[in-house]
Amino acid sequence: MSTIKRTWKVNGKSVAVRAPAGRRLLDFLREDLGLVGSKEGCGEGECGACTVIVDGEPVVSCILPVGQLPDGTEILTVEGIEKKRAGRLIQQAFVECGAVQCGFCIPGMVVSSYALLCRNPKPSVQAIREGLAGNLCRCTGYTKIIQAVKLAASRLPKRK
Amino acid sequence: MTKRTSQSIRLVGKGMPRVDADGKVCGTTRYINDIDYKGILHGAVVRSPVPRGILKAIVPDAAFDWTGITLATAKDIPGINVVHMHDRTMPLLAEIGGEIRYRGEPVGVVAAKTPELAAEAARRIRLEIDELPPLLTLEEAVAIFKSAPGQLDTMKEQDIVKGDIAKGFAEADEILEAEYRAGHQEQLYLENQGLVVFPQKDGSILSEGSIQCPYFPVHELNDPLKLPPEKIRVRQTPIGGAFGGKEDYPTMLTGYAALPALKSGKPVKITYERNEDILFTPKRHPVWVRYKTGFKKDGTLTAIECDYILDGGAYLTISDVVMFRGILHCAVAYRCDNVVIRGKVARTNSMPCGAFRGFGAPQAIWGIESHMDAIAARLGKAPHEYRLQVHARPGDRTPTGQLLTEENGSTACLKLALRRSDFAKKLRQVSRGRLRKGQKKLYGVGMSFFAHGSAFTGDGEAKFKAKGRVELAALENGKPGVNIRVSSTEMGQGVHTIFTQIAADALSLDPAFIRYPMADTGLVPNSGPTVASRTTMVVGNVVHRASLDLKNQIEAFASLRFFQGAPAELRASQLVAKGRKPLPFAKVAKAMLAEVGSASGFFQFVLPDSIQWDQQTFKGDSYPGYSWSANVAEVEIDPLTCEISVPRVTAVIDIGRVINPVTASGQVEGGLTQALGYAVMEKIGTGRNGLYDAARLQTYIIPTALDIPEYDVKFVEYPYSFAPPGGKGLGELPMDGLAPAIANAVEAATGRRLRQIPITPEAIFEALHAGKKGTP
Repeated sequence: MSTIKRTWKVNGKSVAVRAPAGRRLLDFLREDLGLVGSKEGCGEGECGACTVIVDGEPVVSCILPVGQLPDGTEILTVEGIEKKRAGRLIQQAFVECGAVQCGFCIPGMVVSSYALLCRNPKPSVQAIREGLAGNLCRCTGYTKIIQAVKLAASRLPKRK
Repeated sequence: MTKRTSQSIRLVGKGMPRVDADGKVCGTTRYINDIDYKGILHGAVVRSPVPRGILKAIVPDAAFDWTGITLATAKDIPGINVVHMHDRTMPLLAEIGGEIRYRGEPVGVVAAKTPELAAEAARRIRLEIDELPPLLTLEEAVAIFKSAPGQLDTMKEQDIVKGDIAKGFAEADEILEAEYRAGHQEQLYLENQGLVVFPQKDGSILSEGSIQCPYFPVHELNDPLKLPPEKIRVRQTPIGGAFGGKEDYPTMLTGYAALPALKSGKPVKITYERNEDILFTPKRHPVWVRYKTGFKKDGTLTAIECDYILDGGAYLTISDVVMFRGILHCAVAYRCDNVVIRGKVARTNSMPCGAFRGFGAPQAIWGIESHMDAIAARLGKAPHEYRLQVHARPGDRTPTGQLLTEENGSTACLKLALRRSDFAKKLRQVSRGRLRKGQKKLYGVGMSFFAHGSAFTGDGEAKFKAKGRVELAALENGKPGVNIRVSSTEMGQGVHTIFTQIAADALSLDPAFIRYPMADTGLVPNSGPTVASRTTMVVGNVVHRASLDLKNQIEAFASLRFFQGAPAELRASQLVAKGRKPLPFAKVAKAMLAEVGSASGFFQFVLPDSIQWDQQTFKGDSYPGYSWSANVAEVEIDPLTCEISVPRVTAVIDIGRVINPVTASGQVEGGLTQALGYAVMEKIGTGRNGLYDAARLQTYIIPTALDIPEYDVKFVEYPYSFAPPGGKGLGELPMDGLAPAIANAVEAATGRRLRQIPITPEAIFEALHAGKKGTP
């Protein structure tokens, strides 16, 4: 398999990428960069525990080959979310609302919530449900997660 | 940090944020697959490709390069090839000349430097097996039971008998009999099974991983590994969900990894990917249950006769206790003087079933709660009015003869659930198979009412005597504090948080001083497994009492050391004595650690003598306490596609004192959502080839954020004085009763009673169009 040589920005930092084109983005993040916050739950893009943001869009990194991402790609993982204001608000709201149980789905949930609030800062409950529909959680029944996203949205600074 | 100077710490009853939440939202919590182990081998399990046969030979491919690969088979088992479980019949690995009893039964374990190489090596092993005809499903077993009961191969049977069943049927005006079925259910914890076994220089092993009950491998693998309990050490890594799925199985996984680890002298990690995890780890038992009930015209139940058969799979493992819990929940919630319940665990050639939240009770409650609606319909009574009439309440005796005390909030749960859901009014709007004016979808509302026994069945807790310690120690930040040392594991349910609250209150100490390290059998006494809705009630009581013990010791030390013998009290993180300047806890604790060393408070749980149980006759007090609940579900069904949605669910619950209302309601919402999946989505069976037929997330469908109802969860805090601080079991209860409430709502919506779950759109379609030719 051909090896790619590229430069991406991961969590704001420039990263030199050298990997087989077919390597899964999730493995590259976890094994090559040590960013193990993103989890593998199913390996087939169903559970969303591996969700990261690629050029502003949430994607499931377990089925994305690194060869598909060109030079200059910007990737945001749960480790980078903390430094974003909205990201921190989401994390705080998850803690406050009791939206966390076993925690395994939570990095993906936080990332998907961040992506949602970036494109829709005042989502309805239905929009939140839809925005999180690709992230499975077996513990919480989603109710407190939805509440947390709503709470975080209410605390976002108003756009002028 | 809580700012209080004079008042006591009071955290029990408050929604204190979880102590483990920060690491989880930031992605810094390290689960087993996030830990970078150096120099380990990766294990892969070699499995039988057929469901039944005699193993003749294990043939590694001579053309494959086996350098650096360790293959362990039954020949490498140091001791006797049997895992203890409950009947000492299951081998750790199938051996040559022995019988393969299920598809995927482990025959060997290979370990190699990478998971890929290990998987490839496992594929390069050919098994020679003389195949035998398998019995794959519960359906086949039940067919045998119906035609020739004596020929059913059971691994355990147990009856419950109360009163005179013949008299009960003789007194009845009417008799109603029906069968109910439920299939397997997969726990589907988001983090797959995984652990690492480290062989130690002294021949002992350390197993570390996603393990719900660390003391299980310690006491289950002594024969095969030829190691005494003290030479098997097990510790927990953060658990990404378990729900029972990591209760019995990690014992097997520890055994599998231990064999190549002991043979090679290197640590071996085995972690499953999703497909292997679904295919080859235990599920909830499928059930077939038949109720035959006698009742008078006024509704009085005169007889309940019940056959309850679980599919145990190929080996008993822990299924006897699952069946016990099942039969104890078959008729516990209703008044009836004459009861016979016959429980059986059938043997089939399938993966042994195991623990899953509810542990036999959801299967029992699925049957009885469907059946109670059927009886009400026969009597022409509304389902809620009938339940109000015949439900069990304080003063009544259960089928095993246990007297329900005043500390049972059964009636309160029932009444409040009906009121909050506006049940009577909604019942008047149900469709019964025909759209009413203004309805676009068939609408139905249904309910269920049930109890869940807290803690081990029968005298289990009396025999077990759970132990726990709360110890003064230097914390990881170098400051003095308190460690909670019990074997209860955090797997998402919130035990680290609520035990911190319980210890903080008992000690009157700010939770910032309290830690609850991950369970490690080398460091914690055996407080029992984290199962059976026992943790809050039993181990919570142990933590409470051990904390009081430590508090006394700290106060005695402070009195002598700082207050010239004046009585001292630890209050709000300070040591106070009359007329003296209060001293901060940290100062006293530091001095105590320096002068006395690591003091610790200890407690061992005792079941009061008043609780009596006879395991032979199954009579007496089957549980130290019961939690109660009533559920109401509303459904909407598309009349054309039969697509079903559940827009609203009400759950009213008595669990005694609620330790943390936020984590408690989180448990309920999560459990109800698993029950929603059980009721209408999660379909998995054993196919003709002996493999589960929905072994990936693309085919095994669980609820998403789009599927969940609006939940109305309410606790009625009935006092429970038995085990301070007074919480009864909660973990399993929310899983128990939603499936029959939904089935009852489906009946109200369609006019058809479905007696098998999951109730998929296909099943509704068939029920609505049964007997009709072609599609409408």
